[in-house]
Amino acid sequence: MEASSSKFVDQLVVPGDVILDLSNLSNQTLKLGGGLRQDGDSICVMKAGKLRFMKPNKYWVESSQKRYVPSAGDNVLGVVVDTKPENFLVDIKGPAIAFLPVLSFEGGTRRNIPKFEVGTLLYVRVVSANTGMNPELSCMDANGKAAEYGILKDGYMFESSTGLSRALLSSPPHPVLEGLGKKLSFEIAVGINGRFWVNASQSSTVILVGNAIQKSESLSMVQQKIYLEKLLKSIQ
Amino acid sequence: MEVERADGRTPNQRRPVVCTRGVLHRAHGSASWAQGGTKVIAAVYGPKAGTKKNENPEKACIEVIWKPKTGQSGKPEREYEMVLKKTLQSICLLNVHPNTTTSIIIQVVNDDGALLPCAINAACSALVDAGIPLKHLAAAICCCMAESGHILLDPSKLEEQNMKAFIYLVFPNSIISVLPEGSLKPGASELGIITSVTHGVMAVDDYFSCLKLGRAAAAELSDFIRNSLKLKAGNDPSKAG
Repeated sequence: MEASSSKFVDQLVVPGDVILDLSNLSNQTLKLGGGLRQDGDSICVMKAGKLRFMKPNKYWVESSQKRYVPSAGDNVLGVVVDTKPENFLVDIKGPAIAFLPVLSFEGGTRRNIPKFEVGTLLYVRVVSANTGMNPELSCMDANGKAAEYGILKDGYMFESSTGLSRALLSSPPHPVLEGLGKKLSFEIAVGINGRFWVNASQSSTVILVGNAIQKSESLSMVQQKIYLEKLLKSIQ
Repeated sequence: MEVERADGRTPNQRRPVVCTRGVLHRAHGSASWAQGGTKVIAAVYGPKAGTKKNENPEKACIEVIWKPKTGQSGKPEREYEMVLKKTLQSICLLNVHPNTTTSIIIQVVNDDGALLPCAINAACSALVDAGIPLKHLAAAICCCMAESGHILLDPSKLEEQNMKAFIYLVFPNSIISVLPEGSLKPGASELGIITSVTHGVMAVDDYFSCLKLGRAAAAELSDFIRNSLKLKAGNDPSKAG
């Protein structure tokens, strides 16, 4: 049964707005993403942003913040803040500090626990993130393989907003990222929690890429293309 | 009988409002709110892990720090912090991130009357900028009553000092809703009030007229807040989506 979507889809919504009235809808399940909550028979908005809808039944509010709300399945960049016997305590820019079990590595046993110093940068996967509990991380994918997870050596980590991270991970690719990738060679890891890491053979390349991406956040699509052209000309 | 105001406004006219979000680089959310000459900057940090000793760990904790323009913080600042804390506690959803603390720091840049409402508006905008989950927004306004019985909206400092009484009122914002008009429960947000702080003496009827005036002004303010959010979203398609 097709859901008649809310009339506020793709519009700006503000905390307090009621976007759906459940008493009118036919019997169906809805999936509510970030920024929405159920208040009795109505779905209300918690955060300001654009209301999005994906068929058949997913609603969420898209907004960009400096902090991150952990959710299972996300790939994030975390910084180790402490080590405990059972877990590493990792900061992922969320409301609570996250735990990375010492055995969550491919082929991890009590004998070969990795030694991470405080301040180590890791690319990890969020396994679970429940309200009131510390999020749990893992350096393995769902099948138990290491995949790309683990420590990120050298390079430099930049802070961004969650919106910029989503733009960098979107397809079609981010214009500035794509344009720079054609001319320069560098390695990049993007965490959905508002952090990205860049590594290249020369520090000047790392600085150039990091600054270009951070600057592109405040530019519109057209401005980004112009900025990219100017930048590429100047590095010839 | 029309009252003459120093800056030429009518009794029901608010001063022009300027609101900017994201002014501070390091804060998780920030906003600067100026109503005429009164200007306040609010910064939000959080949610951070852990609550204070006597606070309920099942809920989020809100902490307010008020920094005056000059001098040390004293009793008036404590009072402002308490009012602001209670107001913000009623608009934030405290069970979304239990056992966390959200800090709001208010810095007074200039005080030209109606300081507390300006700070409440700034704090609310900063909370939206930081993405803290809210039940609804707050629109704050100041009404004052002269000796002659006239009610003025949004007084400047000079006007405030000459008044018999003044009230700070905070209302929830006006929302867009898919619910039909008649189905709103009695006492629903359209008719609610969050905070009322009075100074001085006034009759009950005068208080109710101030309420009516304040509610209309708050509705205009909440339209302004909605539009200012729209503008920001419109300019950065890569940012707010």
